Amino acid sequence: MRLLVVEDDSAILDFLKRGLTESGYQVETARDGKSAQALAADDVYDGFIIDLGLPDMDGLDLIARFRAQGHTAPVLILSARRSVDERVRGLEQGGDDYLTKPFALAELEARLRNLLRRGATPQQEAVRLHVADLELDLVRREARRGSQLLQLTPQEFSLLEYLVRNAGRVVTRTMILDQVWHMRIDPATNVVDVQIYRLRKKVDEEGQHPLIHTIRGMGYVLKA
Amino acid sequence: MFSKRKILGRSAAWRIAVWPTVALAVGIAMTLAIMYFLIARDIRARSDAWLSGEAETLADVSANTPRDNLYGRLVEEVAELAAREVSDASLSGQQQNSVFFLQTQPNEDPIWVGPVPKQRFIEAIQSAQLAPGTPGNVYVDGWKLPFRVVYHARNTAGGIYLGFADFSGAKMLDRLTDRCLLVWGTTVVLGFLITWVAAHRTLSRVERISDTVSRIGSDDLSSRLPEGPYPDEISRLSKTFNKMLDRIQSSVHQLRVLTDSVAHDLKSPVTSIRGTLEVALAETDRAQLHDRVAEAIEGLDRLSEMLNTTLDLAEADAGALQLRKESIELAELIQALVDLYQPAMAERGHRVTTQLQPILVDVDLSLMNRMIANLLDNEVAHLPPRCDVNILLQARGREAEIIIKDNGPGFPSELRSHALDRFVKGEHSSGHGLGLAFVQAVATAHGGNVLLSNQPGGGAVISVSMPMVEVPSERVSH
Repeated sequence: MRLLVVEDDSAILDFLKRGLTESGYQVETARDGKSAQALAADDVYDGFIIDLGLPDMDGLDLIARFRAQGHTAPVLILSARRSVDERVRGLEQGGDDYLTKPFALAELEARLRNLLRRGATPQQEAVRLHVADLELDLVRREARRGSQLLQLTPQEFSLLEYLVRNAGRVVTRTMILDQVWHMRIDPATNVVDVQIYRLRKKVDEEGQHPLIHTIRGMGYVLKA
Repeated sequence: MFSKRKILGRSAAWRIAVWPTVALAVGIAMTLAIMYFLIARDIRARSDAWLSGEAETLADVSANTPRDNLYGRLVEEVAELAAREVSDASLSGQQQNSVFFLQTQPNEDPIWVGPVPKQRFIEAIQSAQLAPGTPGNVYVDGWKLPFRVVYHARNTAGGIYLGFADFSGAKMLDRLTDRCLLVWGTTVVLGFLITWVAAHRTLSRVERISDTVSRIGSDDLSSRLPEGPYPDEISRLSKTFNKMLDRIQSSVHQLRVLTDSVAHDLKSPVTSIRGTLEVALAETDRAQLHDRVAEAIEGLDRLSEMLNTTLDLAEADAGALQLRKESIELAELIQALVDLYQPAMAERGHRVTTQLQPILVDVDLSLMNRMIANLLDNEVAHLPPRCDVNILLQARGREAEIIIKDNGPGFPSELRSHALDRFVKGEHSSGHGLGLAFVQAVATAHGGNVLLSNQPGGGAVISVSMPMVEVPSERVSH
């Protein structure tokens, strides 16, 4: 997967390049709109990560130019503003996505994966998900640990489903709120932790091999 | 002194004084001119009346005196008498009032009484073409004044002319002119000075305002303008300025409080994050190092959350909160958030009950989510364990009312009046004091408002009202 990252802040650019390269992406970088256009003209990219405030042009204008030049790859916009511009929110309808700074690298990668998956041919939707002895029946919305049926609320099931779908990958609290509750909020209290804590009590009972792990400073991961 | 002169030179008093002075000059000049004209006419009428009377007498004498040798003498005598009658002792020589008498008669020498040589007069009279009985002007070479001349035709051919150069009248008019000019000049100069002084005095008050305002820097906003004893425009200007200064001073004060609080609230986490990372740097145990770094990231998350809210509030204050309104079923939105918060509440032993009436509101979904989340955060963070929280959504008139009641300790009395201000928080609060300020900002941006109160039996009540789209009456009925 080839990515073009356009960002004028070198600290952010460096950590994005390092993080994304470690995750297996081929990353090209540009610090302004002009060089980004030059790079895009010479090569084909699978995705773009574009900062909104570029020194020489508005990030949205750059996207418009890319689109006009026939680039169809999805775009992830980085915005320094929390209350994002209506035009940026409009991107969501256009199949692209945005992320406000500061963000966790894990969240950026998750959003990027979602974006890149959209372009790919849809896989056969699974009806059952497995991680170790945990099994989720997505049709009946039931979860079993071994032979035991877990008594989950619909909310808890959705949360578990999200963790299982991202098994092995760290998910942040922000991602959980966004993907499970469909809210871009930033609670000042530990609401997500309590939700996970409750779910964990049901999934990882005393004496069982724990599946849900807390990664301090990052979020949670479900893994065997 | 130099600055004073500079101020005088640049004063608008000059411009203000010029126009009234011009008006005054023109007005007085017109009045004086009319007066002059009337007096001049009067003087001429008087001399004309005299002239006509004398001419008639002379005509009588001329007609009734037998034509003998003495005829000429007699007429001359009468004419000289007349001349003497108008002689003015205050005049002398060339300027003396002059009278001439001319009687023309066919086939005889004209009789002439008056200044010599008579030839110039006779030519002037002949070229003047006078109408009988009506005095007219005859200009004679060498005389400064025209002669008023009246002509009487005699029944036989020829006629008598009586001329009069009224130097007394002319002198009087000259004196009148001089005085008029003097009066006009004095009035204009005085008028200009008075207007200028008045304008300058008034403008010097403006100048004082300008001085005071220029002295007011960001360091000293406490100076105020003198408002003056009269409730006139300048006093109102001063008052307006003073009010503006009050507002600026209070904004600056608020800004300082805000900056101080932000600085304070930023310094502590930055210090602790830095400290944590320093400890991490010295850590040799990998697990310990991992913990320290994670701790630092958690600290940064809290910091960025606070920054975000501060920026949101700043944006709301600047009126820059962009609303992307859509019709939203508020009850569903609140229920979803209550579901999210329920476990966190339950963990602290709170019992949450909801009574949510379905109401459609036209709101920004993202802001509304964050607003309700802030309200719930507020409950989670500030209630002592094991409280009851009741969340109510109801239609009240044209507004949707969200009421959150609890049976906790309520708002401390010293806090309640400004709990909606940013960075205001209770003594034992661990938050950054921005939550309710943000609720207020979002409600206001949607045309709603927030009320805080305490229940009589204890416990806080937060009531947020929002304009609603419609009352879905059929759905309200149970």
